[in-house]
Amino acid sequence: MLTRRVFLKAGGMALVTIGAGPAFLNRAALAAAAPGPHMRRKVLVTIFQRGAMDGMMAVTPLDDATLRQLRPRLAMSAARAAGDNALADLGVGFGLHPGFAPLLPFWQERRLAIVHAVGSPDPTRSHFDAQDYMETGTPGRKGTPSGWLNRAVGLLGHDRTPFRAVAMTPSLPRSLYGDEPAVAVTNLADFRVRLPGADQVAAAAGEGFEALYERTSQGLLRSTGTETFEAIDMLSVTDVAHYQPANGAAYPKSPLGDALRQIALLIKSDVGLEVAFAESGGWDTHVQQGTVNGTFFRRAQDLAQSIQAFWTDLGPRQDDVMLTTMTEFGRTARENGSGGTDHGHGSCLFVLGNRIDGGKVHGHLPGIHPDSLYEGRDLPVTTDFRAVFCELAGKHLGIRDDGALFPEWSGRRLPILRA
Amino acid sequence: MRAANWTATWTLTTLSALALAGGLAWGGQGAAAEPRPRRAVPERLPWREEGLTERQAAAHLLNRFAFGPRPGEVDQVVAMGLDRWVERQLAADLPDPNLDARLRDLPALAMSQADMVRIYRNPNQILQQAVKEGVIDKRELAAAKADQGLKRLYAGGNAGGNGRGGNGNGGGGAAGGAAAGAASADAADIERPELRAKVLEFARARGYRPERELQGQLLAQKVFRAAESQDQLREVMTDFWFNHFNISATNGRARPYLLSFERDAIRPNALGTVRGLLEATARHPAMLYYLDNAESTAAPDAPTLLGDEMRSMRRPAGRFGYGPPPPARPAAAPKGPGLNENYARERMELHTLGVDGGYTQRDVIEVARAFTGWTVLPSGPAREAVEKRLEKVRRFGGLGFQVDGDFLFRADMHDSAAKTVLGRSLPPGRGIEDGEQVLDLLASQPPTARHLSTQLAVRFVSDNPPRALVDRLAATYDRSRGDVRAMLRTLVQSPEFWSRGAVGAKVKSPFELAVSAVRSSGAHVEDPRPLLGWIARMGEPLYAYQAPTGYPDRADAWVNTGSLLNRMNFGLQFASQRIPGIDIDLPSLHDGPEPESRQAALSTFAALLLPGRDLSATLRLLTPMVSDPAVARRVDDAAPKESPQAVQARADDEAEMAGGGGGGAGAAGRAGGKAAGEAGGGSGNPAAVPDAAPARRQPRGEVVRVARPQHPPTAIEQVVGVILGSPEFQRR
Repeated sequence: MLTRRVFLKAGGMALVTIGAGPAFLNRAALAAAAPGPHMRRKVLVTIFQRGAMDGMMAVTPLDDATLRQLRPRLAMSAARAAGDNALADLGVGFGLHPGFAPLLPFWQERRLAIVHAVGSPDPTRSHFDAQDYMETGTPGRKGTPSGWLNRAVGLLGHDRTPFRAVAMTPSLPRSLYGDEPAVAVTNLADFRVRLPGADQVAAAAGEGFEALYERTSQGLLRSTGTETFEAIDMLSVTDVAHYQPANGAAYPKSPLGDALRQIALLIKSDVGLEVAFAESGGWDTHVQQGTVNGTFFRRAQDLAQSIQAFWTDLGPRQDDVMLTTMTEFGRTARENGSGGTDHGHGSCLFVLGNRIDGGKVHGHLPGIHPDSLYEGRDLPVTTDFRAVFCELAGKHLGIRDDGALFPEWSGRRLPILRA
Repeated sequence: MRAANWTATWTLTTLSALALAGGLAWGGQGAAAEPRPRRAVPERLPWREEGLTERQAAAHLLNRFAFGPRPGEVDQVVAMGLDRWVERQLAADLPDPNLDARLRDLPALAMSQADMVRIYRNPNQILQQAVKEGVIDKRELAAAKADQGLKRLYAGGNAGGNGRGGNGNGGGGAAGGAAAGAASADAADIERPELRAKVLEFARARGYRPERELQGQLLAQKVFRAAESQDQLREVMTDFWFNHFNISATNGRARPYLLSFERDAIRPNALGTVRGLLEATARHPAMLYYLDNAESTAAPDAPTLLGDEMRSMRRPAGRFGYGPPPPARPAAAPKGPGLNENYARERMELHTLGVDGGYTQRDVIEVARAFTGWTVLPSGPAREAVEKRLEKVRRFGGLGFQVDGDFLFRADMHDSAAKTVLGRSLPPGRGIEDGEQVLDLLASQPPTARHLSTQLAVRFVSDNPPRALVDRLAATYDRSRGDVRAMLRTLVQSPEFWSRGAVGAKVKSPFELAVSAVRSSGAHVEDPRPLLGWIARMGEPLYAYQAPTGYPDRADAWVNTGSLLNRMNFGLQFASQRIPGIDIDLPSLHDGPEPESRQAALSTFAALLLPGRDLSATLRLLTPMVSDPAVARRVDDAAPKESPQAVQARADDEAEMAGGGGGGAGAAGRAGGKAAGEAGGGSGNPAAVPDAAPARRQPRGEVVRVARPQHPPTAIEQVVGVILGSPEFQRR
């Protein structure tokens, strides 16, 4: 029995010329034509922190008297006296919130960078609009049909596999709307023909489907059917259900932990993953944001532990991977009456990768005083999020055409990757 | 029309006069009533010329003008005559007692929009009201807001507050689902049972219901209507136009108005005129919020109808006599007053002219100016304040303000200077007439005719429809002034509609697939939520496509590796009754003698489910499958089925074991029965139950999987499952 090979989009040409011969012949021909399913690709992993993370709490300007005044309950200090509640002094005038402590080693190894006062130039404080704008990459314009990650995939300029663009979400995120095929899945173990309680029947049905899709006259159903069964084979080989993370990586038992664990699996399986999307929720901390015992801490800890486990799990594959977080906007400099913060403007993001110019806070954060705050209340946006995404897509994925990736934007990349 | 009597009620007459004044191509037509069928005996449908048999033609018709054939329906249409069937569908006035009875179980469908918004509330709205009425102390507000139990109950499990909104759907809810799950990791955060009880008692006394129930009813009615309505074409066109004027439930401001958007703006006009659709959608709060026109105001230096002496009445957007006074420092306003172009751009690019429709950025700005002041009469406490203010306005003679339901035209926000749209001048000094004239203008443009003709042809014929057909439809559009019935008649009388290349050329959307599976198998949808979960999983969370473009109507948008696999699994699980809430009696579909072999069952059921198709290739390929030992072990598919009661009892036992305390929720769900919005109803599909009761959630936010009675699938079920998951069944 021949090992089936990935049906590449370019390989479709071969299929046409071969015609409708016996299936095994087609497979053999494909096997010869394609270099094999196991392809190492550069991978961009994106995590959307939905709800708007308080960038000023995540990465706090140290010893800022105004901030302490604006946030009597929420401002934190890096002073030794603060004990376990202390921010980790990053040595560059900023303190990292203790929830993000699992990321500290990466900072020290200069593989983690922070971009501060980053965000969208659009002034909206609506989650819906701001997420939409960040995911389409066209602030202020709602009708953009595609998401920026989908456009990025379209600009890669080489063959694809069914797993090229994967969102570990129940439905496709706006970032991946568009012409390029993308898979949305929350549990890779479901990626097969299934009939709960009747595995044998499912297997038989799978054979039936395979035969039917191989021969259907509808071209798209035929080619996608072929891809689908190839994809099932690719995954079953790696035994999704019994995946053991490497290097003692311990993922938190959370949706994000699950998502990143499965992304690591896909990367290590060499199934052609190039763009991955995951979500982290619960950042809309209007109420009881807390310092080291509130919502923010737990969200931060889940995010940081998930990323830390993911990076550890990747081991030698870290060189192929770049990970970035993003969030739709930041939060008010002043705390509100419910011990939380309200919708603001600029926030910060984390970028992790071996080629990152790390151990630095990139971007420009003006001091926190009423004149430098956006509309007198929020961290301003001094770095357009597209400047960061272009840099990652450009230097990591090799996408040159920034104008196609972000139409109507002519800004410059923020240099955060080493050449 | 519920216009206050002091305003100049907008009428067809005034519109016509305006249109004439503007020298429009369509002067005088306005939103005229659509013409009735022109002739008693319509032109014959040219299916025979394209080489179809009458049964094939009837099946094709049912796949395009309906959500697929029901058992026996192909023969019924043949018996009635295809022409007559088409005319009855175009008339869309068939009595529908069964559907009406089902829809009566969904109370929101009969409510006024104002009542919907008043009754169905999210937790924050309830808390706001409770504080206002002194039921809870302001100091308790923070704790109440953070109370996870209350959030889950009222926001449909979307406790994340992440702005994507719990849609009460497998998809939209699912979109927020990950976030909700994440947030529920914080569930221990604040639990204040006494406070919660106080709030819940308050909500009960006031008659407030959770907002997700409204979404649940919107979703349920869509499934019920598509599956059961006699007026199938009207539902097909409602689906088409909703997608054309798409609004997403992920937008929290538009969400409470979605049901009325479909009910009041789309469905009554689905077989009407394009001008009527433009009017109804332009005035609807859902659209005004979704594309931001509600906030779009004249620039600070632009003139309005309010003379200089009235300047003091002008306030920034959203501050019309309610909310805090204008801030001392203008920079601190959340959104400065000014033009928002979003609605103007999408109205032209998506709703009318099309992306290459020949308009410029200048036109976008001018159209945006024309629509300044088209906004929403707010709901909630703010409404009273605005109405008081409007009283005052009335004493000044109306000042050009208008109220129509929840639509509000604010003369103080409207830029009354002269405008030029698509080369036509709009004179200065007008109010709401500017927007009306723009709608007339847009509806009468040739690019609009082309754009809408292309979209109709894509929906009804193929992803790349023949040019000649689009030309013909566009000519009908011009001749009939955008009459939808006239265009559909042209469509069905065109040879291109019946060509061999068009039959089965469209890949079903997930919604079409699911509904056609229900219809073709004669299934009954008791609880639509698990089905909705599958529709979302297959890639079409209903009412939750985030972009105003609507779902792309192309095969390659629906078919990719993940979605195709979900389609196959849907077919298998649907047929083997592993999707809760759906009752199917496959053996009864077939009233002849029991099929005597698996092969016989295969050919019998393939013909029942896919009438009018050539299935020889499918049957040949499936024959080895039915001979598979996995199937062969259970040849005797005529084995008596368990009674529903026995099945349910066993499900309860299993639920008890699987979910611990979850059994109660299961019982509640069953007692609720009506499905929509009620908790409960077990599911093997995690995407299906985003609004499950809190008791059924594990700490990780995973929905407890309540085991369904899983009898081994019978051979018929297996065969039907493979047919429903087959490429043939994906096409229409």
